[in-house]
Parts: sequence; C-alpha cells; structure tokens
Amino acid sequence: MRFRQKVRELSTFQFALLLTLPVFIFLIAVIIYPLGYAVWASFHRIIFFGGYRTSFVGFENYSAVLKSPAFWHSLRVSLRFTAESVVLTLLIGLGIALALARSFPGKGVIRSLAILPWAFSRYGVGITFKYLWRGHAGLPTALAYLFGMETRVSVLNHQTVIEGLAIGNAWNLAPLVAFFLLANMETIPSRLYDLAEIDHLGPFGKFFYVTLPYLRYTLFVFTVIVAVLSLKVFDYIFVQTGGGPGVASATLTYQIYKESFQHLNLGYGAAMSFYLLGVILAIAFTLYGVWGRKEL
Amino acid sequence: MYMKKASMLIVMVACLFLISGGQVFGVPESFEGEGLAPETNESVYFRGWQYRTHIVNDNVNRYNTELNGNVDYATITGDYPSIMETQFIAKAPLDILYGNPSQACRYYDGGWILPAESLPNIEKIKADMYPHIRDAWTYKGKLLGLSYFVTTRGVLHVNLQKLSEAGLAEAELPATWDDLYDQLYRIRDKGIKYPFLPHWFAEWYGISWAFFFETLNRGGRVADPETHKPLVTVDGPAGDTLRAWKKVWNDGLIPEEVLSYLEPDFLEAWGSGEYVYSPQQMYDFKKFNEPRYSRFAGYCSPVPYRGQSWGLIDSAVYLMSNRPRGKDHTRDVMAFASWYGYRDHEGELFVGQRWIEDSMLFTAYKEIMENPDVQAMMKKFFARPQDYETALEVYANTPYPKGVFNVVWAPEFNSWIKETLQKFLMEDKPVDETINAIGDKINELNSLYGVS
Repeated sequence: MRFRQKVRELSTFQFALLLTLPVFIFLIAVIIYPLGYAVWASFHRIIFFGGYRTSFVGFENYSAVLKSPAFWHSLRVSLRFTAESVVLTLLIGLGIALALARSFPGKGVIRSLAILPWAFSRYGVGITFKYLWRGHAGLPTALAYLFGMETRVSVLNHQTVIEGLAIGNAWNLAPLVAFFLLANMETIPSRLYDLAEIDHLGPFGKFFYVTLPYLRYTLFVFTVIVAVLSLKVFDYIFVQTGGGPGVASATLTYQIYKESFQHLNLGYGAAMSFYLLGVILAIAFTLYGVWGRKEL
Repeated sequence: MYMKKASMLIVMVACLFLISGGQVFGVPESFEGEGLAPETNESVYFRGWQYRTHIVNDNVNRYNTELNGNVDYATITGDYPSIMETQFIAKAPLDILYGNPSQACRYYDGGWILPAESLPNIEKIKADMYPHIRDAWTYKGKLLGLSYFVTTRGVLHVNLQKLSEAGLAEAELPATWDDLYDQLYRIRDKGIKYPFLPHWFAEWYGISWAFFFETLNRGGRVADPETHKPLVTVDGPAGDTLRAWKKVWNDGLIPEEVLSYLEPDFLEAWGSGEYVYSPQQMYDFKKFNEPRYSRFAGYCSPVPYRGQSWGLIDSAVYLMSNRPRGKDHTRDVMAFASWYGYRDHEGELFVGQRWIEDSMLFTAYKEIMENPDVQAMMKKFFARPQDYETALEVYANTPYPKGVFNVVWAPEFNSWIKETLQKFLMEDKPVDETINAIGDKINELNSLYGVS
C-alpha cells in the first residue's frame, strides 16, 4: 500500500528523469569525462618519467601546434584524403544505387552482396587494400603483367598513396550511401518518369531532371557524414601505410596518435585534437551554409 | 640442563628454517622445484606481442597444469610499445610482459617495472648469462629482465639462386656495406632491376635501426653509450651511410614501396625470391629455408664476416610490472617470471630451449647456446651446414647500440628518426642537414628528459 503511494508521488518529469538517468550517467562516463580530461590535458604539460607530474602551461600547447610544420602538412594530407574520399564515395554510391534500382534477375541477392563492403571493419579494409595495392604481389602489378608489361606497380608510393587510401575508403563507405540513395529513389513517383518519357528525355535527361533533384538532400547529408568519417579515420590508415611512405599519408589523426601515444606528449596531442574538432565543425557548418540550407 | 634446552632450541630453529625455505629470517627463498608454484589464487597477467602464440600458450598451460598456476596469457595487437605504456598509465592488470631493452629502460624510468634484480635467485641467473648480453639488459646498474631472445638483426641474407643468375660467385660476396652497394650496379646490369631489399620498412625498428646498424658496422656510433650525447658526424660513418643510401635510392635500385611495408610485408617480399641481398633477422634463416615461406628455400645463406660486422644485437626480455599487489601475489609473479624466463621446476631452461629449437631464437644462457645437441640441431635450420658457422661468426661480432637503446627516450627517437630518414630519401634532403638534425634531436631529447 505504502509502495503504491510512493509511485503516485512521482511526477511525469521525475519519472522521465528517472528513465533518462542511466543514459545520462553513461554519457557522462563516455563523453563528458574524456572530453573534460582532454580539455584539461591540452592546457597542461604532463610528464610520466622521473615521477609523474603536471604543470599548467596555458595556451602553450595550442600555439606550439600552430608553429609545427608537421601539423600543417598533416592538415593538408587530411583535407586531400577527405576531399577525394567524399567525391569517390558519392560517385560510387550513386553508381551502385542507379545500377541496383533497375530490375534484373537476382536483384535481391545482388543488393545483399552490394552492402557487404560496409560490413567490413576499418582495420580489415586497411589490411585488404594494403595487399591489393602493394607492388610485388598486388592487383595493379597483376594487371600490368596480364597486359604484357613486366613492371611492378605500387600504389603505395608518395605520389599516389592518398589516392590509394581514398579508393579503399570509398569502397568501404559507398554501399551505405548507395542504400540510402536507393531508398530515396524508391520514393520518386513513377509518373515523373512517364512525363519525362513524353517529353522525350533520354537517360541523362531523366537522371538530371527527375532523379537527381530528389537525391540532393541525401547527397548533402552523406557529403557531411563521409567528410566527418574521413577526417576522423585512424585505424584504416595506420594498418595500411603507418602514415608513410615517409609522412606522405600522415593524417591529423595519425599525428595526434603519434604525439599522444608514441611520444606520450598528451597535452600537445590533446591540443591538436581540438584543432581537428575545429576543422570538422568548420567543414560541417560550411557545407550546411553553402549547400544544406538550400535543400531544406 | 641448559645445554639440552639450547640444543633443542637450535634443532627447532633449524627445522623451522628448513620448512619455511629460509623466509623466517628474511633470507630469500630459492626459486626452485615446487617453490616456483604460486602461493595465492590471484591471477598473474602475462602479455606479449604476437609471435608464435601457440608456443607461449603451451608453455603457460604447462605451468598452470603442473604447478597449479593462475597465469592469464593474452597477446597485444597493434603498436606494442605505445599500447603497453598506456596500459601502465591506466594501471591495467599486467604482471609480466615482453619488452625490448629500449622499452624496458623507458618503463623503468616511468616507475612501471620491477627490475629482475629483485628476484631472490638473481645471482644464479646472472651467472648463467653471457656477460655482454647481461650488460646490454642492465640499466642504471640493474638487470631489468630475463632472457626471451637474442639475435642479430641486419645480418645480410643472400639468395644464392639469384646471385648465380647474376653471374656472381660466392667468393664475390661483399665484405662491407660499400662493397655491397657497388655490387648492386653490376647485378642490375645483368637484368635484375631491384637487387637489394633494404631494412627500410615503416616500423619503429625498420629504417631507424637500419641506420643504427649500418653506422655501427662502419665503425661509428649514433650516441655515446654512457652519456648518450650524439656522435653522428657528416664526415663520419653516419654521413657515409646516408650518402650511400641517397646514391642507391636516387639511382632507382630500391623499390619505393619498402618505405610503406610493415615487417610481415618486408619478410614476404624477401621470401618472394626477387632480390639478391637483404638485411634480415638471424632467426629467419630457418623461415627462408622452408618452402612454405620462401620461393628460394634451400638457397638462403648468410654473407660472412670479413672484418666488418653486419647488423645489431636485437633482443627482448621478460619484464615484471611494478603495479600495486600484495606481497604474496608479487612473490607469485616473481616465481612465474623465474620459471618462464629462467629454469622450470625440473631445473631445465625449458622455455629458452624451446624457443631455440622451434624458431632459432638465441638466448642469453650459455648452457643452451653451448649445448652440442642444440648446435647440431641448429645446423639443420640453414641451407648448408657451413652456414651455421658463418652465422655464428657474424653473431659473435655483432655490435649493440647501447647509446640509443639504453636510454629513456629510445622509443620516441626511433619513431622520429623513422620519419626523418624516409623524408631524407623521398624529399632528397641534404646529408649534412639530416645528420645535424639527428644530432640536434638527440640533444633536445637529452635535455627534455634530463639525460646527461
């Protein structure tokens, strides 16, 4: 009886609070605490050797990052990798979606197979493409020999390593884009294609004037998603090239890892990670301002 | 009467002493026989990198089964040194781990490991080791760990099939690095585009250690073994090394992709049989003379020592962590470390012996290395019986880079110099600029870590 009375005393707000409390605690544990620690670390010099000690250094880490040529090099590498990844992912995704939208025998099976690359872990994709791209036993070398050229072709050289990485990244992400675009295509009224037929529009005309306008918002959303995922990716690059050859594929995430965990320079690494966060936010908001707002 | 009582007391004390294994009076127990069994039910966490993990598992199972042990073994995948440092910082459950001497020194300065010196049977262990290896694993006067393996990294392997294809006889094998680089041009003229696979891969011990060993082999040093001050000079062996590298690189004798290889790729590339020479691990002669790993099995031999050493001493030890534990639990950790890194409960150097039999991993213990049965067995790992003597001579003359290994900043320097040397090649940087940058970096690290 007493228990019933207590339950009745909970207001709707209290009940809602009770329900969200576990999620709130979880968020504090996995987001707010590490984020807070990273902010704290970025303003400190942390020394582990000769006795653990920390000292407040203000914005010294932030200013040191800006003065580092390695940071600017890695920023350029990250932006190049991201731009290429976005373009390739959207083009491949769109291509897959258009191909799978048609009717053909075994459509269901092919659609299921097409999503498989998305199911690969980033680590697995890195290893796979490492084997595919290398010179002494990779795919380009095999193709070169097939066409009678007795030469080794390695994609993982300093000139093409970013392109090799971007292709692998796009291979992994494109199926996700394709399936959202495909779902989007299913919503396009078929009568629009009938009208396009009456207007004697060819396949390209139908694509540009009927299909593409319906896909623009999805394309915008995935441009942002792929850009953010590409800027953040670490394991895929680490296992495939280790930032090399030299520093040719040393992205910002790789640089942060190196400073934070190989050199144990946690404050400096944390400061660099906030610059990466700034870059991600700047790209996302710029895309929204330039493109996204028009689509809403 | 008093004499009788005193005699009884002496007998009782003696019995107590024997039963307790000497612990009553603070005398360390002898880690032998059943004394190596655990005394608590606490787990002993043993972590290592991925190498022949089924052997390690089997060894651990033997300890757990025969001595009722509680050892929990798992491997660490990825960037081992960095992961272990974060494990220490995060106070993860970790009791025994692998480590190279350079990692061991850093962990010791971080206050994360208990030196092997604290083992009660340490004097016997030390007496069974070769003095120069013991010295390599000693830091700030303390032996840090027990023998896992010792080998020569950078011993020059030759593919005898390819050598013959290039029209060269064994008498023409190079005696020095300069001989080697000169010969590469002759081999290329015979139609082999890439005669040499250098140790320039993208691990922290790849191109960095190639620079260390070539500088050492040419008679120089990268840093002073005691003060750790830089010893690289533009006109000395370090400068000669970089000049030789630049020449063969710019002349297109080296495939660029080696700079993005990890060690498995590097091994696979050498196993492809496409190259004539490559600096590799001593223990990999066994691997490259097995058809499942090598396309030139039976033809992989060492280039002999003819006055110039090849490679450097690469080694690893078993380390004990210094995490907070109960006294008895720490005793269990030490008992297992002694069982695994020294003698088992039957008094055999079981694990060390197994490694040499299985994988040709040399050890610090004289008893194994000088055992005629082991020597006879090792001969079978080589392409030809005489290669064993050749390899041992190379091993006996291999230098150890104490100046850049036994110092707290070693792992950080390895990572920095890897990038610096790869950039030196790819961006065609001047030799003097790179040598000066190396010297400056060592000075910067000495200053940062207060190393004098």
